Amino acid sequence: MAFDRPRFLRLYSFFVYAFLFLPIAVVVLFSFNSVKSLQSFQGFSLQWYEEFLNDSTLRESLFVSLEIAVITMIVSTILGTALAIGLVRARTRWSPAANVLMLIPLVTPEIVAGISALIIFSQLGVQLSFWTIVIAHITFSISYVTIVVRGRLASMGDEIEQAAMDLGATRFGAVRLVLFPELWPAVVAAGLLVFALSFDDFVISFFTTGEDVQPLPVRIWSAIRFGVSPTINAIGTLMMAVSITAVIAAVLIPRMFGRKESGIKVLTGQEGG
Amino acid sequence: MATAVSDAITIEGVTKRFGDFTAVDQVDLAIPRGEFFSLLGPSGCGKTTTLRMLAGFEIPTEGRILLEGEPVENVPPYERNVNMVFQSYALFGHLDVAGNVAFGLKRKKRPKDEIEQRVADALELVGLADRASDRPNRLSGGQRQRVALARALVNQPSVLLLDEPLGALDLKLRRQMQVELKQIQREVGITFVYVTHDQEEALAMSDRIAVMSGGRIAQCGPPEEIYEHPTGEFVAGFIGISNLVEGVVEDETTVRIGTGERLPAPIPADCGQGDTVQISIRPEKIAIDDEIEDDMVSLEGTIEGRVYLGVSTQITVGLGNGSRLVALEQATYRASADDRWEPGMKIRLGWHPENSIVLR
Repeated sequence: MAFDRPRFLRLYSFFVYAFLFLPIAVVVLFSFNSVKSLQSFQGFSLQWYEEFLNDSTLRESLFVSLEIAVITMIVSTILGTALAIGLVRARTRWSPAANVLMLIPLVTPEIVAGISALIIFSQLGVQLSFWTIVIAHITFSISYVTIVVRGRLASMGDEIEQAAMDLGATRFGAVRLVLFPELWPAVVAAGLLVFALSFDDFVISFFTTGEDVQPLPVRIWSAIRFGVSPTINAIGTLMMAVSITAVIAAVLIPRMFGRKESGIKVLTGQEGG
Repeated sequence: MATAVSDAITIEGVTKRFGDFTAVDQVDLAIPRGEFFSLLGPSGCGKTTTLRMLAGFEIPTEGRILLEGEPVENVPPYERNVNMVFQSYALFGHLDVAGNVAFGLKRKKRPKDEIEQRVADALELVGLADRASDRPNRLSGGQRQRVALARALVNQPSVLLLDEPLGALDLKLRRQMQVELKQIQREVGITFVYVTHDQEEALAMSDRIAVMSGGRIAQCGPPEEIYEHPTGEFVAGFIGISNLVEGVVEDETTVRIGTGERLPAPIPADCGQGDTVQISIRPEKIAIDDEIEDDMVSLEGTIEGRVYLGVSTQITVGLGNGSRLVALEQATYRASADDRWEPGMKIRLGWHPENSIVLR
């Protein structure tokens, strides 16, 4: 018998995807279970969602997580984009070093980043609070924004800004009228990516959470220590929905404004020049 | 004006250094209004840096640049009355074709009706009136090129700068655009400064060409002069295929080449007896074998290679002392039996003495 390659690949792909998505599917399915069992699905109900929404501490944690994610998204998008423009366009003798340093936050183990943040805050005598979490999140998020935006900038080249200046725009005008409009699909995509990363971050949040309301992932972790409730499934499903929404928005928002390239292409590096 | 400035551009002793590297070295040029002027040279010869100094993207280290008689070396790009067509076109992807073309006029805050009219005229000029509301990414390479041209021309600059604008197009489209560009230039009467490394392109379009090498201007003149009378080895070698044979000046009319043969040639006045010179002969001026006429000089050599080019066959002949001559056998009725020339065969090449150029 000949080695049937397409069929083999199809089977292989099937198992890879099953491996990736089965656990998630189980969580989603059991979030709608009508009984408290995590083993057998008895029937459809929304009781665990109700329970979650009626639990005021969980609800507060959800809002805190969303607030942190939104602030992180806005601040790190602005700072990260500015840094990317500086790194790509300034081209001083320091920029190669700065470009490499940029990558370090991405490869730093999260636990190291979390502990470092904790040490710095305590050495500076800063009380752990909502804002310490936000600051720690922004710190690690800037790198992601910079890398996404920098990729887009590098593929654009600097001739369009020069063209704008050649046609009568000042240096600032060239950034405002040409560079930013060309860049914004990447900025939106980077912002939504960072939103998703911040929203479900546990490790860094864990080290920087103080007396204030815990963000949702930290809250879940505390709850699980007292036993697993199907409410966790409902929360997990909701969190996933938020993240997926962010990703879909990253794809659709640039498209709605008539841009051919979507955020996904920008993120996965499939964009054209 | 009684004292009209006749030159669109005057470059006086301009040098540009990047660190230790001298990109442009003591260049002097005067480009009259309405001229199609090309800067021609290999990459790294300083032609693009010169263009960028005219646009205002680079500031000369030394020297002066005058635009219509006014010094501009420290004027930023957005305050100069020049526009540039970039090699990558540099179209704005977030604006449609009309938006791209209107960009410059909007910066100058022209009235809305005027902008609309001028944009329409410019698109008409480049034949894209029906694509006004398309995004650049929906256009072909040639169409993008035209948008870039319209976007620059609509501002009616005193000089249009073009940085290898046809470099990204395929050969056939490039030829077509060469003709079109030249036509447009005649129509609008704007001074064009055109940077290219393609000698055929420069010969085909330019009123005058400056051949650049190592940051300096090697020769500047009309295409015919550059091709027929190159003043140096570099120009002779860069423009077209050039055969160079080394020799020593024997007397006022003869050069003795390495093989010992004496060739009559027009010796320039500044060459004295005993000077080492290069004789340059264009391949198309060389007659082969039975084409050789009585009043020609001729040499014998051995065929080293033969390349069939369609309209002609290129034959490389070794002269025995390391020098080679390339001749073209035209595929006319005479050459129906062009197969007779095989590598290794002996062949005679001849040319009229006045067609050899003696270079110091």
